[in-house]
Amino acid sequence: MSQELGGVAGRGRLAHGWTIVATYLRLGVLNVAQYRGEFFVALANVITLATQFVGIAVIFANTSNLGGWTPSGLIALIGVYTILSGLIAMVIQPSLQQLMEGIRLGTFDFTLTKPADSQLLASVAVVSPAQALNIVFGAGIVGYASLRMGTTIGPLQWLYFCLTLVFGAVIVYSFLTLLGTCAFWWVKVDNILVVFSAVFGQAGRWPLAVFPGWMRIVLSLIIPVGLAVTVPAQALAGGLSGWLVLGSAAVAALFFAAARAFWKYALRHYTGASA
Amino acid sequence: MSGAAVQVEQLQKTYVVPERDAGIKAAMMSLVRRRTRSVAAVREISFAVEAGEVVGFLGPNGAGKTTTLKMLAGLLHPTSGRAEVLGYTPWRRDRDYLGRMALIMGQRSQLQWDIPVVDSYRLNKAVFQIGDADFAARLGELTDLLELGELLRKPARNLSLGERMKCEFAGSLLHRPQVLFLDEPTIGLDVAMQRRIRSFVAEYNRRTGAVVMLTSHYMADVEALCKRVIVIHHGTLLFDGPLTELVRTVAPDKTITVELSEPNTASRAELATLLGGRVAEAPIEETDTGWRVKVPAADTPAVAARLLTGLPVTDVTIEDEPIEAVIEKVFAVPAHDEAHGRASDEAEVRR
Repeated sequence: MSQELGGVAGRGRLAHGWTIVATYLRLGVLNVAQYRGEFFVALANVITLATQFVGIAVIFANTSNLGGWTPSGLIALIGVYTILSGLIAMVIQPSLQQLMEGIRLGTFDFTLTKPADSQLLASVAVVSPAQALNIVFGAGIVGYASLRMGTTIGPLQWLYFCLTLVFGAVIVYSFLTLLGTCAFWWVKVDNILVVFSAVFGQAGRWPLAVFPGWMRIVLSLIIPVGLAVTVPAQALAGGLSGWLVLGSAAVAALFFAAARAFWKYALRHYTGASA
Repeated sequence: MSGAAVQVEQLQKTYVVPERDAGIKAAMMSLVRRRTRSVAAVREISFAVEAGEVVGFLGPNGAGKTTTLKMLAGLLHPTSGRAEVLGYTPWRRDRDYLGRMALIMGQRSQLQWDIPVVDSYRLNKAVFQIGDADFAARLGELTDLLELGELLRKPARNLSLGERMKCEFAGSLLHRPQVLFLDEPTIGLDVAMQRRIRSFVAEYNRRTGAVVMLTSHYMADVEALCKRVIVIHHGTLLFDGPLTELVRTVAPDKTITVELSEPNTASRAELATLLGGRVAEAPIEETDTGWRVKVPAADTPAVAARLLTGLPVTDVTIEDEPIEAVIEKVFAVPAHDEAHGRASDEAEVRR
């Protein structure tokens, strides 16, 4: 036993974390038959995307740029939005929903008895692999947009794109986790997630530049969905400065730290569902 | 703290619960200003459990049993007091501790609903970092002991309650916990399955020397598994000691039932004379075929002898009070808040 535990420490927490994520992904794939319907829902998203493109076409029939964004830039932005929304729908949202359900029913107790990071366990608890389709779509759209731009995007800007996309994912994850953690106090917070989906669905599809000044601040720092989507797309559309990449990293780090701290605070106040 | 496997000192947990009157007006008011009330679920309890012990937690619903177990399992932070399990403070949730502990709740499932049971186990394998060889060996052993066989390939949602519970046990024990917290593990199970689970828990305790702390409303569980019981009521520890001693303290009487060859030839007065002395005040009850009397345990042999010689007895039985009745007596104690001055009564029962 002690040997085993010694080995545990040696292998490190990071490796352990990855094993857990990989196992949940595998479980998600095993569960895939249960979610056959979701493939169709994911495919139906094509219709939403098509209406987006129609919207862009209508706008650019009248003007050649929207707040400094070209049609190709906006298509790249839709690609980023699709990737992030795919990630939300694939793992973040279903896991948070399970967390809320678990807190309400008391099964979250089991998460806390596991010798692993409880936030990690709660965050990857449900994987819906069908939604990976959206991530693939999104990547395809980004690829198409970059070709359509006609200019060569340098390796540095691709690097910035990848980095800020990861930061965007961290921001969205942290923000949703902050909301979901409220379930430790309020029994029903599903509605908060619905509100987030609405804000993300509406505001996330457009570059920050089209919004009035105060809303840009809200969408960058308070409900940072705009920041999460616009910055990576900007890397491809017009180029990013290193400072903006750092800024994006700072916002991501701030939100992640806040989500982490709030989670730990919530655990101390966890009362469990009564028997 | 000492070398005991579980050491609890002055542990206390107070919940703050929202409270409001009935009706729409009160509901609207509670939106603006939530009224809350503090409820002491566990009040300064202390006890110690040695390695290898199986201890039963007894108490009516809401007594604080589950809250205590959850604090020891690291789920809840206490309001005050200390606890150490295997040398760890549970609510710090040290991974080494969590890797040696298991909590099994009869009313909740940790199996993944839609996938075969064995796939849920693989998740535990990853989380508890169980090596391939250990996993295979332990799963084999648990499969034999619990006769899991085919069940492992079925999704949890297709299992009966009893089957699911067996699978819960196997899944929770794959990492060989040294401390086992069982919260109503046999609830809702049929008698045969209850017996099955009981013998399994006893066997696990025998094989691994793990500490087992269990709550149950089925006294058969407690009688079969626990030599020692801790009685909690209204969050206060009322008794901690051997089950037999609890019975002796709370229900010091035995029941003697005699069947007579000619029913009721003896009158109540004659019987009272036969019983003699202070025993005569004991409750006497007439049955279809004879008499039933309750006498203090110490007087039982003498009284039984007198009955046998003085009456045309064809059969005699001497019984302890059923354990359920004993427990009911313990729980008849009103809450702390309800009756001041109960403390002295409780002190009598407490060791």
